Amino acid sequence: MNYIVHILIIINIYVILTISANLVIGMVRMLSLGQAALYGIGAYLSVFALMTLKLPLEAVAIFVMLGTSIASLLVAYPSLRLRGDYFVLATLGFQSIVFAILYNWIPVTKGPYGISGIPAPKLFGILQISGNVSFLLFSSVAAIVTIGFFYYLIHSPFGRVLKGIRDDELAVMSLGRNVTAFKIWAFILSSAFTGLAGMIFATYISYIDPTSFGLDESIFILAAVLIGGVGNLRGPAIGAVFVVLLPETLRFVGLPDYVAANLRQIIYGLALILLMRYRPQGLAGDYQIQ
Amino acid sequence: MNSRSILLVESIRKSFIRNTISMSGDSIDERYHIIDDLDMEVPEGKITALIGGNGAGKTTLFNIISGFVSPDSGEILFRKNDKVIPLTNMSPHDRTRLGIGRMFQDTHIFPNMTVMENMLIASSETNGEQPFVSLVVFCREDRVEKKRISKAREIFETLFGQESPLWLKRNEPATSLSFGQQRLLGLARLFMGDYSLVLLDEPTAGVSPQLIPQIIMIIRFFVESQGITVFLIEHNMKVVQELADFCTFMSHGRITAFGTPEDVIGNPEVRKAYMGV
Repeated sequence: MNYIVHILIIINIYVILTISANLVIGMVRMLSLGQAALYGIGAYLSVFALMTLKLPLEAVAIFVMLGTSIASLLVAYPSLRLRGDYFVLATLGFQSIVFAILYNWIPVTKGPYGISGIPAPKLFGILQISGNVSFLLFSSVAAIVTIGFFYYLIHSPFGRVLKGIRDDELAVMSLGRNVTAFKIWAFILSSAFTGLAGMIFATYISYIDPTSFGLDESIFILAAVLIGGVGNLRGPAIGAVFVVLLPETLRFVGLPDYVAANLRQIIYGLALILLMRYRPQGLAGDYQIQ
Repeated sequence: MNSRSILLVESIRKSFIRNTISMSGDSIDERYHIIDDLDMEVPEGKITALIGGNGAGKTTLFNIISGFVSPDSGEILFRKNDKVIPLTNMSPHDRTRLGIGRMFQDTHIFPNMTVMENMLIASSETNGEQPFVSLVVFCREDRVEKKRISKAREIFETLFGQESPLWLKRNEPATSLSFGQQRLLGLARLFMGDYSLVLLDEPTAGVSPQLIPQIIMIIRFFVESQGITVFLIEHNMKVVQELADFCTFMSHGRITAFGTPEDVIGNPEVRKAYMGV
């Protein structure tokens, strides 16, 4: 039972990650390789807020979302003026810098040793969220709020302009919209929820180290979004479920851990190649990334 | 700037580096002046046609006026409410908000949106497009969104009638329209904005002859009913003669003739340079 609850919590975290990444990748067509960096910033900020500032959960969530948004602004403003491959490279640079900081700023992040003993958060300073079932409820509420927020957002006039930018940036500009400002907003909102996923991860696992937020993780999030498909919420959510459940199925095959880990990478790679060839819009996407 | 002009283009220059191969096979970079010290004015409340051969610099001039291309030197002045506003260093979206609309040579419709969404996104009313306000707007079925929909419906009915294919396909993807219908949608979309000058880049290019009278009617509607100045690039001389109040001829990055369409098209130098007769 605990095992299933654990899987559901991880699915909730990845649903938040992929749906928020979809706003940048699927709605404004900016392939970001810096999602794990933002996820990590959220996780470390939540640890700071919990262990040093001793804030209650709701305040930690606000602190993390604001902090991650501000951090994303540092990369969003200069990077969003770049296009296509140059933007991908800029986010890759951001990912590398954040990872290097998390890994080497030992007095603050404890570097490769990681931070352990992260306390269970308390809602309104009273209700402690500990144990798998509490975390399942908490992460489910967070995932539902995320889905609701992004559903309304992409069906709003703001979302319509984002779709326009994805289809034809020049035309949106010629209709009097500040394309850079819209992209920055998309990046900020996506980052805020990515940070929230980081907070849930950190408080649930109660231990974080930089290896959870490296380039591999960014590629993993990107792969989940592309496998599921972009442009709606169904696609990224299905992608999240797919990438979380796939390695779990390998457990039951009885392969040794090191073989299963490598096989997992091979299957992800193969899934991506097959999808790009036979179903470029992903399993349930509305839009084909070009 | 003449008090009857809406736009003044003054001493505009734009050059590109062109790579050519010499007879000996060497690669040579040479500066090519696509716009060469160009001066012109666009009369307010009229239709002015810009004609000229391929590579004369017409679309580059439109891109400079819209802000998509920066000139090397020169100035562009725009008149709004009796104020003369320099457009230099102004972003394309700010120029649009100032009142300069643009229709491109390609249709530039949004293929993953419905016909109606293509209209709504073109509205000059941007309230509700800020992300947080947007959420509230969506929840409350905001009046602004209703106003946009109502304006789009009114434009469709006025321009095409209720039973037109555009109206009937309003909830279908814009790609379900034919090229000519997409062109009509592009023109209709301009009525959603709050423009005093529209730049139309070859509005009749690639459309069937049956649609040309409808396009002419819409362009006239800009001026006669909305008081919008039209500046258009056109290769169809019949359309120019039927539609334009003024005609200007561009050759090698310069304006070499300006006047009524009859005067310019009848000009022996224009006929020789443009039509080869």
